Amino acid sequence: MGIITITLAIPVLGALLLGLYEGDDRSSKIIALIASLATFVASIVLLVQFQVSDANLQLAERLTWIPAIGAEFSLAVDGVSLVLILLTTFLTPLILVASWHSITDRLRGYLAAFLLLETAVIGVFAATDLLLFYFFFEFSLVPMYLIIGIWGGAGRKYAAVKFFLYTLLGGLLMLIAILYLYGQTGTFAYSDMLALSLSVTEQRWLFLAFLVAFAVKVPLFPVHTWLPDAHTEAPTGGSVFLAGVLLKMGTFGLLRYALPFFPDATTEFAPWLLGISVIGILYGAIVALMQGDIKRLIAYSSVSHMGFVVLGTFALTTTATSASVVQMVNHGLSTGALFLLIGFLYERRHTRQIAAFGGLAKQVPVMAGLWLTVSLSSLALPGLNGFVGEFPILLGTFQINRTAGVLATFGAVLAALYLLWAYQRMFHGPLDTADNANTSDLKAREIGVLVPLVVLIVAIGLYPKPLYDLVEPSVDRVLTEVADGADAADGGLATAEEDGS
Amino acid sequence: MTASLLSTLTPLVAQLAPPSIEWSAVAPELLPTAMALVLLLVAIARGRELVVAVPAALVAAAVGIWLISMTVILPGAVVIAVGFALPAAVVAFPRRQSLVQAFSAAAALVGALVLTGWQYVVVLAPTAGGIIPQEALQGALANDGIAFFTRLTVYLSALLVLPIGYGYLQERRINRAEVEPLLLLTVVGMAALGTANDLITLFVALEILSIALYVLSGLARRDRRSQEASLKYFVLGAVASAILLYGMALTFVATGSLDLAGIGGSIGLVTTPRVVAALGLALVTVGIGFKISLAPFHFWTPDVYQGAPTNITAFMAAATKAAGFAAVLRLYLVAFPALESLWVPILAGLAAVTMLYGAIVALVQGDLKRILAYSAITHAGYAVIGVTANSDAGLTSTLWYLLTYAIGTIGAFGCVIALERRRRGEVTLKDLRGLGRTSPLLAGILALSLLSLAGIPATAGFIGKLLVFQAGIAAGLTWLVIIGVLSSVIAAFFYLRIAATMFLEEPDPERGPPVVSTGLSLGVSVAATLVIYLGVYPQPFLQLVETAAALVR
Repeated sequence: MGIITITLAIPVLGALLLGLYEGDDRSSKIIALIASLATFVASIVLLVQFQVSDANLQLAERLTWIPAIGAEFSLAVDGVSLVLILLTTFLTPLILVASWHSITDRLRGYLAAFLLLETAVIGVFAATDLLLFYFFFEFSLVPMYLIIGIWGGAGRKYAAVKFFLYTLLGGLLMLIAILYLYGQTGTFAYSDMLALSLSVTEQRWLFLAFLVAFAVKVPLFPVHTWLPDAHTEAPTGGSVFLAGVLLKMGTFGLLRYALPFFPDATTEFAPWLLGISVIGILYGAIVALMQGDIKRLIAYSSVSHMGFVVLGTFALTTTATSASVVQMVNHGLSTGALFLLIGFLYERRHTRQIAAFGGLAKQVPVMAGLWLTVSLSSLALPGLNGFVGEFPILLGTFQINRTAGVLATFGAVLAALYLLWAYQRMFHGPLDTADNANTSDLKAREIGVLVPLVVLIVAIGLYPKPLYDLVEPSVDRVLTEVADGADAADGGLATAEEDGS
Repeated sequence: MTASLLSTLTPLVAQLAPPSIEWSAVAPELLPTAMALVLLLVAIARGRELVVAVPAALVAAAVGIWLISMTVILPGAVVIAVGFALPAAVVAFPRRQSLVQAFSAAAALVGALVLTGWQYVVVLAPTAGGIIPQEALQGALANDGIAFFTRLTVYLSALLVLPIGYGYLQERRINRAEVEPLLLLTVVGMAALGTANDLITLFVALEILSIALYVLSGLARRDRRSQEASLKYFVLGAVASAILLYGMALTFVATGSLDLAGIGGSIGLVTTPRVVAALGLALVTVGIGFKISLAPFHFWTPDVYQGAPTNITAFMAAATKAAGFAAVLRLYLVAFPALESLWVPILAGLAAVTMLYGAIVALVQGDLKRILAYSAITHAGYAVIGVTANSDAGLTSTLWYLLTYAIGTIGAFGCVIALERRRRGEVTLKDLRGLGRTSPLLAGILALSLLSLAGIPATAGFIGKLLVFQAGIAAGLTWLVIIGVLSSVIAAFFYLRIAATMFLEEPDPERGPPVVSTGLSLGVSVAATLVIYLGVYPQPFLQLVETAAALVR
């Protein structure tokens, strides 16, 4: 059993233990925390074993699973999936600590759901068998549905069902595409499907099927409407996980599957996707400006920020596409931190209306300072992590499509507007109401949760090279596959066969 | 003189001698049949059960010893064990006749399952290369992949339903002596339907199971809905049988053959009147469509499923469908492949209508049994995708789908029974409120069964959907699969609604806790375990079902 399997297995074993052992709340929390920390340690071991210079999928593990239909339990990581796995294992213990006291109802179930979710997400990032990938991709719906539905806010039932059905429909369309590919290969192995040479018409349809599944997850405009509801209603931990990790399953899927599988369709549809991304960036930003609920505001800002990620992905240049992977991490860190802060504030005040706050900076200086730092990171201030992701994306886009680049830049400007305006309304001004004057500052536990995030935010902002070094070779590999595939189709059958072998 | 007489007599005697019967071909069915008869006798011998049980056990012992002496060791042992289960139960549970009956019936079913396995290993697949299809009883029975898998599904379903329904029947005071014998006869009818290789056997098997089910669905004599269910099922079922019979007659007229392979051979010939054969096919489709509740021949389903005692409903939903589809597969793939251009589009259309109709109508239902009834209709549509694929992959996917569906359905209905016992009446969505808090295990099992029915990964239903979709796509029926996907999403909505009511809403303090007896928890736990096992590691069973594509043609 290799290190990826171990990383994958620890959370699910923890969940199993929680299910079987009926301890008190405290011991359950400790079990869950130990499991998530052990997972993090395992993922660090994974990072150590990883060869940074090697662009290929590494540390491959293969176990027989369902040979009757050609499905294998096969896992491997490249730079992109490694980075996202690390993000997942890093965020999970923080989430568990953040909700240490806030969840009291059916706590064991809550903890077990998070651990199951962690396994599912790691599985999505590490699977190199499409059935296994799909298995984890769809399975992640169940724990997330429960997290939103059971421990969420007032409108949780609607939000949870909407989340589930949107993603299920997208996923099932992808399943059809996967089964179509399976019909040609006879196995679900990633490498076999990658080696297929498909006609352009086939590619178009299959690409669209994959795109729907991933676009819903990202979420891209106009299939984003589940996100604001899900984010707003989810408990703090759910929102952080959703923004931090689950959305990345969509952008990761595009990069890992949709692009290299269907190179011709990718190059053909890329301009359209740039357009849709730009619409999403601007739309998300403008709607965020108008929100009165701070959590909803951040939810819409996610739509905008994830638009940047897709924009960078479909710019199809090494700079922009690598930056979009880096931006996935950045978004996970800064939006995750924002959701945590909102959660902490909500626990104190039981409201999220921006209008209810004012002048808080005097009362809660630590929270205000952290909030400002994280907001600045989210709006891509140079020196913080947002900048090192967003700037190369804009640069890369500008090189291939000037209009898209210019329009997307407006999104970055709007981000500054809605984030700082919200900060200003909440933390500056007179400390006029009694509620505001009685708000207490962050406790040591809460600061402890945020500090690792802020440290990473600053570290990546100042020295992003290690992250880029991890990501770039793998992104290059994918882009080469896209370029070769597209060339092969132009150059006729002979080259296609060469590539296929 | 004598020598010449003898020489003339010998061929005559040879002609008169009874045909040899390949007992192994029907071995699994013999046990439940015998047990059904013995149990009826036991019921008559009120108070003096041992008078019947002991001689029956002695006969079983004699047969078993004879079998073992013939070196048929395992079946011999099974016969002896099952034979002694009855007197043992009589002694162990004095004055508790229904427990004795349930126990002995379960023993017979376990025996039947063991014999099915034995039959697979020794007779069907003596080498590792897969099933060797065989004919038995002059071609009346086909002992092949469909037969094996149908047996597996129906015996397993009956075995799960027995403990689940035991306490329920007792509480409703409908645990009458004929329940278990009738259940056993139904199972035998279903297994026979799975093996039926000519039209007559097929019809007889269908009637055996139908008639037993008409009676079973009317078990609750004092309950009007049960009466209505029984009568409705009987009247409509009789009409469907008549239509089916008419279709069979026309097929016979067209082809001059009753044996399915014979029909398949002659339909392709130019001498065969194609129109008559097509008409026969159409009527057969209507008749059999009724039995497997394909829209638009499904109208009986919701009412019957709702009115019948819930354990009978669970059994009907799970096993009748498996048996009905066995007949469907055989009819279309063996008898009518030549008319493929005719029935593939028709069945595909019916499947599309069925999937969408069932899912959409289920959305507006409030009664849990009705919701599950409409879900059963939807699932018939999915299984038909595998049939329309008209391929080996389609065949195996249908068989697999029916197995996974049966397990999920039994799990779901089992949980409904626990709630129904609390309420002593119909179970609506409101009754489920907060069940996740009051009895998390039961709610968890119900949710798991529903997830399996919805086809979410890590449950058996997912692998089922995967295979039928794959077969459909491989056969070029992508449009049908897309409709399947749409209806899956619609269906997921109402399954989720049930789950949401259990977990996302607060319990209603007026309602008492659900009644979970040992038998019920045993049954649903086994179902839930199978759901997860088949969902996470289906390989052993999938390997088995892959071999099922070998048919007697």
